[in-house]
Amino acid sequence: MHKLYVNPLPVRIWHWANAFGFVLLIATGVQMRYLDLIQVVPFRTAVVAHNWIGFVLIANFFLWLGFYLFTDKIKVYHPELSPTKYFRASFRQLQFYGYGIFKGHPNPHHMNAYRKFNALQSMSYQIIMLLVVPLQFFTGVLLWDIAHFSSMVETLGGVRVVNTVHVLIFIFFTGFIFIHSYLASLSHTPWGHFKAMITGYEEVDDEPAQ
Amino acid sequence: MEIGVTRRKYPWDWRDGGLLKLCGENRGPLFTLHIRRRSFLVYRSIAGNYGGNQMKGFWIMNKTFQRLTQQGLIMVGAVALSLFVPGMAAQADDGDLSEETKACLECHDKKGLEKKLENQETLSLHVSTNAFLESVHKDNDCTDCHSDIDEASHGKTKTLIKSRRENSLSKQDVCRDCHKKNYKQYEDSLHSALVKEGSKDAPLCFDCHDPHVQDSVKIVGSIAETPCARCHEDIFKAYSTDVHGLERITKGKAAPICADCHKAHDVKAASFGDGIKDSCLACHKDAVTQHQDWLPNAARHFAAISCPVCHAPGAQRRVNLRLYDNVAGRQVSEKSGVPIFKKRAEAADASSLGLDERALLSLLKEFNQDEAQGRTVLRGRLEVRSGIEAHQLSEKSKAIKDCNTCHQAGAEPFQSVTLTIASPDGRPIRHGVQKAVLTSLTATESVRGFYAIGGTRIKLLDYLLLLVVLGAIGMPLLHMTIKRMFRNIREQDEAARLAQRAQTSSQGLPGDRPSADESQQSRS
Repeated sequence: MHKLYVNPLPVRIWHWANAFGFVLLIATGVQMRYLDLIQVVPFRTAVVAHNWIGFVLIANFFLWLGFYLFTDKIKVYHPELSPTKYFRASFRQLQFYGYGIFKGHPNPHHMNAYRKFNALQSMSYQIIMLLVVPLQFFTGVLLWDIAHFSSMVETLGGVRVVNTVHVLIFIFFTGFIFIHSYLASLSHTPWGHFKAMITGYEEVDDEPAQ
Repeated sequence: MEIGVTRRKYPWDWRDGGLLKLCGENRGPLFTLHIRRRSFLVYRSIAGNYGGNQMKGFWIMNKTFQRLTQQGLIMVGAVALSLFVPGMAAQADDGDLSEETKACLECHDKKGLEKKLENQETLSLHVSTNAFLESVHKDNDCTDCHSDIDEASHGKTKTLIKSRRENSLSKQDVCRDCHKKNYKQYEDSLHSALVKEGSKDAPLCFDCHDPHVQDSVKIVGSIAETPCARCHEDIFKAYSTDVHGLERITKGKAAPICADCHKAHDVKAASFGDGIKDSCLACHKDAVTQHQDWLPNAARHFAAISCPVCHAPGAQRRVNLRLYDNVAGRQVSEKSGVPIFKKRAEAADASSLGLDERALLSLLKEFNQDEAQGRTVLRGRLEVRSGIEAHQLSEKSKAIKDCNTCHQAGAEPFQSVTLTIASPDGRPIRHGVQKAVLTSLTATESVRGFYAIGGTRIKLLDYLLLLVVLGAIGMPLLHMTIKRMFRNIREQDEAARLAQRAQTSSQGLPGDRPSADESQQSRS
């Protein structure tokens, strides 16, 4: 085993700010939506907190985007621009999580500084970060001041449609938090990936990348 | 700006921001007082006979009792003075009337003078000279309005009049000659529309104004004198005990009465468009800013909620889904003479339980077939259920500020839903809607313009959230369990692999990868 520096400081700051922010957004969102079931903080407090955290996370998103746009680390998302290899690798990764991991097969993904993500991570994170998260921020901003953005809201089908999209993505991220945390525990030790996201160093075995 | 009666006939001649002049008739001002803008209010006019002189005066109220300053006391004193100093007081004098008018009043100023109408109603023909002299029409001659009277035959031949209503209708146009602007506004009003529809109760000019005793509208009388109360009795009763009514009683013109919000002549259906919200904001100018200080999405609340929803805390509320023309940017109105809403709504609501989400969508589609697709949408608005409740406004401190009132499932305002189109005169035509549409996913398109966080949340999304959370917790647990079940197999495979590796290592085959320990050593 050796240590590999895969999580630079800006990425770690973005990741944990994003993680805590999302948990808080989910919590305040649940409070706003389910006031009849749970009342930890007043509705108005939840709304105000939700708005502020949302704006902090939008700024945080641009930290992430700026980092990857202006450094060569963007390669971690596209180590090779070969869709065939990409989908094949994704399938192998799925096979591993769905079967190989039980049998003790080695992880088909071998990490290095520019190959930080396995194919599944790479694909899903790109969809999440470039489509789902911006869409959630966008709908969130529209709902933050509906009257101000009324023409846009109307173009998109009305406040109920915008809100439904916002809630669907909220449901997705609620599930994502659990799945993401579990998958992060599937390192060689349960806390391996968590530590790596704090220290920046990932412990990887010495097998050469295939 | 004039705040008092400025007729020099009276001992008062006062103008706002200027001077209060206490005048004797045909004399110059005895003394003057500076009037602070809006600091004094004419509360009511008074008249009476004092020492053989017909006296006129006004009770003057200071805006607040505490501010009844020396100046205020002087003014009150001035009023009292005018009442008891002969010669300073105004006297009802028919010297200003034309000979022709005097001649008319000779007969008509007889109490009990009346005429029996065809429908057995009685029409009073009595005109009090004193009252007429006080009225705004005192400078008019009788024939200015009663031009149809033939001097030769008047009083000698019997003119048949069907009813008081018919009489008022036939004289209605007389008012237009002088009051063109007000009459035009009246003609565009809901009241006039009702008259044209044949209503026997909708007001004509004379139902609100008696031309022979009509005072200046600038004089603030008791609220009981408000003519609107005659027809809108229940609403007026509610108003008289709500925050505006009570303020009106104590503070006079500083507080609104019917016409201040609903207009005197240009009366429109209160629920049409933004209703009378603009009237509220005309006085409560900083209301938007004040709400923005504490209310998230304040502008949206202003757009989707009528003021009494929060400011009449005792009222019952409902969701009003209004057919709205998205292109024209206004509420959809039925075309005159083409009543299609009721027909379509009843056809869509076969069970008569109220429109469900499917019926609502099909009804909306029908309206969209008339125009370009997507033109007609539903816009929701939270409002109180009746006009009476709209006039039960409370003090600001008692207004609802608790978000829980609406933002939770099962909240009272969402228990009643109605679909509305405006009639040609602006009045709402309603049809009931099942409250389930507010929480239905399939109604997302039709009820696209109304949503209250928590209160009208889509139920199906709640189930989806539950499913996703259960799945997101259950899947890892299942995965861990299977992993644990395979533990023995993994250990056996690992042991076999190690054994195989050891075997191949001892054979020293070329091209073998170094073990982890070996690679560690080589790096160091």
